[in-house]
Amino acid sequence: MKKIKYILIFAFIFSIGACTDGFEELNQNPNQITDESLKQDFQIVGSKYAPLFQNLFGNQIHHNLSNESWAQHLAQPTVFVGNANNTTYDITWNPNWGRTYNNIMSPSGLVMLLAEEAELPLFVHWAKLIRILAMSRLTAFHGPVIFTQFGGAQAGYDSEPILYNAFFTQLDEILAFFKANVNAQDMMQFDESYGGDISSWIRLVNSMRLRLAMRISMADPVLAKTQGEKALSDSGGLIESNDQNLNVFLYGKVYHPVTISFGWADTRMSATMESVLVGYKDPRISKFFDEVADPALVPDHPEFPYKGIRSGASLDAKGDHTMYSNISSDFKTVTERRFMGAAEVEFIKAEAALRGWSGVGTAQSHYEAGVNRSFEEWGAAGAATYLANNTDLPIDYDDIVYQGDRNDFVNKMTVTVAWDNALSNEEKLDKIITQKWIASRTNTMESWVDHRRTGYPKLPNIFDNRSNAEDGILADDEFLRRVIYTNGQRQNNAAKVAEAVGFLGGPDEIGTRLWWDTGANF
Amino acid sequence: MFFVAIMLTGSVIFAQTVSGIISDESGPLPGASVLVKGTSNGVTTDFDGNFTLDNVASDATLVVDFLGFKSQDVSVAGKSVINVTLEVDASQLDEVVVTALGIKRSEKTLTFAQQTVKGEDLMKTKDVNFVNALSGKAAGVEVRQSSSGPGGSTKIQIRGAKSASGDSQPLFVIDGVPMTNNKGGQPSGWNGVDGGDGLSALNPDDIESMSILKGANAAILYGSDGANGVVIITTKSGKAGATKVNVTSSASVRSIIDTPELQYRYGSVNGAKENWSYTSGDYADNFVDDWFQTGFDLINGVSVSGGNDKTQAYFSYGNTTSTGVSPNNDYKKNNFSFKQSTKVLNDKVKITSNVILSQEKTKNRNRAGYYNNPLTGLYWFPRDRNFNDFKDNYGIFNPDRNLDEMSLSDSGGWFVQDHHQSNPYWLLNKESQDDDFKRVIANLSVAWTIDDHFSFQMRMNYDFAKKTYDEQRMAGGNTTTVARNGRWAYQDFTDSKTYMDGILNYNNSIGDFTVNALVGATYQRTEYRLGVSVNTGMEDSGLLYANEFNFQNIGPIVQVGSTLNNNVEKQSIFGNVELGWKEMLFVDLAGRNDWASTLAETGNESYFYPSIGLSAILSKIIEMPDWTSFLKARASMATIGNEVPWNRITPDNRVTDAGTVSTNTVKPFLDAKPELISTFEVGLDWRMFKSRLGIDFTYYDITSKDQFLRFPLESQLYTSEYINAGEIKNSGIEITLNGTPIVTENFSWSTTFNYSANTNEIIELSPNALDAGLGGTEGFAAPLIEGGSFGDIWGFKFQRDGEGRIILDDTDGGPLKTAQRELLGNAEPDFAVGWSNNLNYKSWSVNMQINGKFGGIVASQTESLLDGNGVSERSAAARDRGYENINAVQNGQPVTQIDPFTYYGEGPGTGGRNGISEAYIYDRTSVRLAQLSISYQFNVEQLDWISNASLSLIGNNLFYFYKDAPFDPEITNSTSRSQPGIENYNLPATRTTGLNLSVTF
Repeated sequence: MKKIKYILIFAFIFSIGACTDGFEELNQNPNQITDESLKQDFQIVGSKYAPLFQNLFGNQIHHNLSNESWAQHLAQPTVFVGNANNTTYDITWNPNWGRTYNNIMSPSGLVMLLAEEAELPLFVHWAKLIRILAMSRLTAFHGPVIFTQFGGAQAGYDSEPILYNAFFTQLDEILAFFKANVNAQDMMQFDESYGGDISSWIRLVNSMRLRLAMRISMADPVLAKTQGEKALSDSGGLIESNDQNLNVFLYGKVYHPVTISFGWADTRMSATMESVLVGYKDPRISKFFDEVADPALVPDHPEFPYKGIRSGASLDAKGDHTMYSNISSDFKTVTERRFMGAAEVEFIKAEAALRGWSGVGTAQSHYEAGVNRSFEEWGAAGAATYLANNTDLPIDYDDIVYQGDRNDFVNKMTVTVAWDNALSNEEKLDKIITQKWIASRTNTMESWVDHRRTGYPKLPNIFDNRSNAEDGILADDEFLRRVIYTNGQRQNNAAKVAEAVGFLGGPDEIGTRLWWDTGANF
Repeated sequence: MFFVAIMLTGSVIFAQTVSGIISDESGPLPGASVLVKGTSNGVTTDFDGNFTLDNVASDATLVVDFLGFKSQDVSVAGKSVINVTLEVDASQLDEVVVTALGIKRSEKTLTFAQQTVKGEDLMKTKDVNFVNALSGKAAGVEVRQSSSGPGGSTKIQIRGAKSASGDSQPLFVIDGVPMTNNKGGQPSGWNGVDGGDGLSALNPDDIESMSILKGANAAILYGSDGANGVVIITTKSGKAGATKVNVTSSASVRSIIDTPELQYRYGSVNGAKENWSYTSGDYADNFVDDWFQTGFDLINGVSVSGGNDKTQAYFSYGNTTSTGVSPNNDYKKNNFSFKQSTKVLNDKVKITSNVILSQEKTKNRNRAGYYNNPLTGLYWFPRDRNFNDFKDNYGIFNPDRNLDEMSLSDSGGWFVQDHHQSNPYWLLNKESQDDDFKRVIANLSVAWTIDDHFSFQMRMNYDFAKKTYDEQRMAGGNTTTVARNGRWAYQDFTDSKTYMDGILNYNNSIGDFTVNALVGATYQRTEYRLGVSVNTGMEDSGLLYANEFNFQNIGPIVQVGSTLNNNVEKQSIFGNVELGWKEMLFVDLAGRNDWASTLAETGNESYFYPSIGLSAILSKIIEMPDWTSFLKARASMATIGNEVPWNRITPDNRVTDAGTVSTNTVKPFLDAKPELISTFEVGLDWRMFKSRLGIDFTYYDITSKDQFLRFPLESQLYTSEYINAGEIKNSGIEITLNGTPIVTENFSWSTTFNYSANTNEIIELSPNALDAGLGGTEGFAAPLIEGGSFGDIWGFKFQRDGEGRIILDDTDGGPLKTAQRELLGNAEPDFAVGWSNNLNYKSWSVNMQINGKFGGIVASQTESLLDGNGVSERSAAARDRGYENINAVQNGQPVTQIDPFTYYGEGPGTGGRNGISEAYIYDRTSVRLAQLSISYQFNVEQLDWISNASLSLIGNNLFYFYKDAPFDPEITNSTSRSQPGIENYNLPATRTTGLNLSVTF
């Protein structure tokens, strides 16, 4: 009897321990979604593409306080970091590297493995294409980046020639595969841009090839011409009308610059935009920006009541300039954002004509088509009148709230809108890139590239130059030419960063020119 | 009342007066206590050992007590003179202490350090957050409080930070059962509010004692939860005998101490938000002081206890009402507890049940960081503007929307659109946060005395909490954080823990040997944060209609999330044998095997770890001089396995708020192992002069290996990975001195002095990454770096030349900062002391706690931004002078004076968000009068119905004897491990003073 007591107690004690059956399930988070679950409705691969597109542009510090500011489309009323920040050439935020690798390269890499496992090669090629869209932006910030050696720890960088060759080679593979599967329906459910239409993606592949070829037109003219002509002559065609544009769906989210402009009051129209659009009497101005409420802000052009802030302005207080022009309130309801469009393709063709690439019409025809495509895209009327204007030039700028010539500039742009075949190639290029710059509104990445590559449009320098020894000192008449490598890379991948700096051919500073930034146009 | 009535027992037969002399073998003993058993009728002997007691029943028994002597019971038996000679007794030294799992052990046998604090010592000064009172009362226990006010959380750490992934918080145990102490969210440098913790649910008046098991040796019986030490709370129980009713009531006032030193004579230029004018004016200087108010704390409680030999019961109710020093901040708490135990089956089985209920409501806990914090707008307000315009007109009517908004305006709303600041009165009236906690802890235990040697105990405990956080921001607020129709952040969830254990004990003496052995098992299941969470975000359509905060009003793009952040099952079996030889030598062996669900799929879900301890009572082994009453040496070693956090092995994809699937990019961790913490400690317990002086010394060395770490993977296929790596070492000493230097007839003084010093070293971190971050804010960072320590604060320093002169910028003349962050110092103190004193004079007693921290640094983002905004007094003093003194060099030329803005202003100078961190580092050293109570014991001998009554004047955090920092360095922004020692717009520290009345019937 007594023994039974102890046996029972021990049995009780040991019955508690060592039953681990449910452990695996317990350790899963029921509020996450497993790949197993995503096999239902065949979501396992396709459902993961949306965040890749969502991450192409990033947020405030990724574009608004970077390329949008350097390309002088938008400017800031806010005195960030005592006014020593990205916009005044003191690199304070350098987030595009991390965003591109963590939110695009890494998840697309994992998705490609899944797609290969599931034998869905179309999705593999789609992911590859998204990676080129993303990486071609990242290299425009830094120059050499990690691409062909991406995967493991402390990966090596590609020099820009190797990188662009890799882009072209991969575009070849993608194009071939898309062409061979042009009727595939697999992407339909997951493609918010083209509804799974492969022929639309083929046009984007060709257009991207054309964009990248033009980028390197002076760095490697032979390769540029070969690739450019390949794009121009491909049977799949290019993006030629606005309904063929690659627009990235916002997935119900607000267009982020709306939050920056209306919510945070951290961005406004740039003074350069005011100078150009008001000067050219550009009807698109009301599509891009809101009018100011107070006519006293625009005594020099009351018929165009729009006011911008000097890029890299000297600022006392944020409230000084928040009454300047917001981005257009129309953006509050947009559902997508252009990545690449017909206007840009036309302007590249116009430049290709100047460069003597085959497969294009006259520079004038493409230049005017570019302006027309842009007017159509924005729903602006009066393109013909606009294109005929051979007198108006961009205007001088006065920062009306500050006394004296603080933040003011004298316009340096010398070309009118109307085409003139008598002009030199240099002047024609100036016209093309200036119009390309206007038309690129909402996606300034390539305009920032063009400005560095060609020097056009002839933007004013920033007013408050805060460049310093840490990131590289720029003279007051110089522009920022690149962004330094991240501290994460400098600390954790120092040897490869040193190699990359070797490829760069100059110090890891903001004044070092990228490969395609040759300083010459012809 | 029925309950009270049935417990009233006892009657008086006959009364007489008894007197006599109490002595020991060497003569009369002053200060010995003589008490009539079962009553509160007692006296202490005078200087000559004499006593006189009135009103003694002829059949009463006297209990004679004196520290270090055997207590004696003497029957009165009608005698009127009773002389007693007390014997010195080592059994007095043999206090029984409650150790792991509620097991009672004789203190002399312990092989590890354990320190006990009595409940009454914790509650003497009635701190609303009672855990703060633990500070300084036990060596090696570090307590830092949040600035969030009443009901806020506390950071407690014993013997340093041991784990790179967890909080290194000790385990709290109530009556042997682990309790849940979950922390709510903690503020970051930018934003947020303290979410409280689980300790506030306890009624401190229910606490009999708190024992602190500092080392892992002691904690092995709790497994990994006890790896960071254990705080064992023993609650009060009913006692056989007369029913006692105790009523306590305290009222105290709470006021702000040390607000930053602000200037009110220089305003702004051209409407800037900064105050950088160089022309002084006569401006209002009262709006900051006017914001703060006097807070009141009312703590009332009643407890009833009593019972007979078979059944005892204890009931208590406590009520706390507290208003904060910020307007609209208040805290209300109700606590109930009911504990009863009954013996059945010939007293062989004892059934004990305990139910604790608590309800806490907090309104508008004080925020920290920039966002939605009234302190930024308040401190920075441009002096040349009229604050009253904004105070009265915080909202401006917008006819287009038919509602009030905090519009940009010079005469109301707010004068600037700035994400860092808002109109404080808008925040006060239009934004709120309510925290609502309800909790029940129910416990049943059955103890069965099987025979003389065996006993078995089974316990079941269910701990359930329901928490709601409801943050509502009205439309028209700061457009950085409030959307068009307002913003609602709401969380509603439950935390639950089921705990069961069974322990079989065996005790025996065989010849010279004694054996104490046990074998047991535990089962523990936790499920935390099970509920829903929503944040309507910044989209216009986040809320459909303005200022309606409920689920119906949520727009389609808002994600309503299901939450769960811990779903863990742990099972363990363990055994422990303590062998004693001749009451001189003790060996303690323990082992434990855990099965943890968080290690599923790794093959390492089962893991074993052992401990061994030795203690020797040297005073029995070796002949000691007379003045040594007791001397014990102890040593022990243990290893503890610590399981990894929940859901780390194979994390999955997420459905995002855009309805898309976000791919998991964290590398699966299929070879995870438990972290291993190995400890070694040696100690000495030496009591002298009839135990009137004691010293306890401990040296420990704790090595944590196989740390569970998350590392970002730079530009790789996976974005981060978890690994087991690294080695963290804590070593230190703890010294406790206690003594009763003076005992006379009317006066006694007893004192305890605690000293501790801990050194933390990160010996190794990871083979493939250089550092892991602990967080930080703006210029400050707190990385974990090989060769560094936990609590290291990094930041930007002044650039200096070879002579140590600050280098000024060639053009703007401002001080240059280093390109990279450098080590500024460590947030942990070099050593800490706590000194408690109890002085008794007749009916008066004084209790005083002095706490000191020496060494270490704290950092202030507040001060940096005060300088940047030109509102610090030093920036004004420099403007009065026309310059700030500096030892600097510019373009090779020495500079001794610098323009105030160039030195302090944001941009060229040290101040602002990303200024020169070095300028805002302060010594953490502070010495303060942490607690003071002065009590008077009323003479209630004439009153039959009152057995005890006292009134006390109480105070907490009264004043600093020394302090370097411009704020209280013991206040912490976050009570989690992030941002050690970094302060950012925290509410200033408070002092409380009040009265406490306690009456026992």
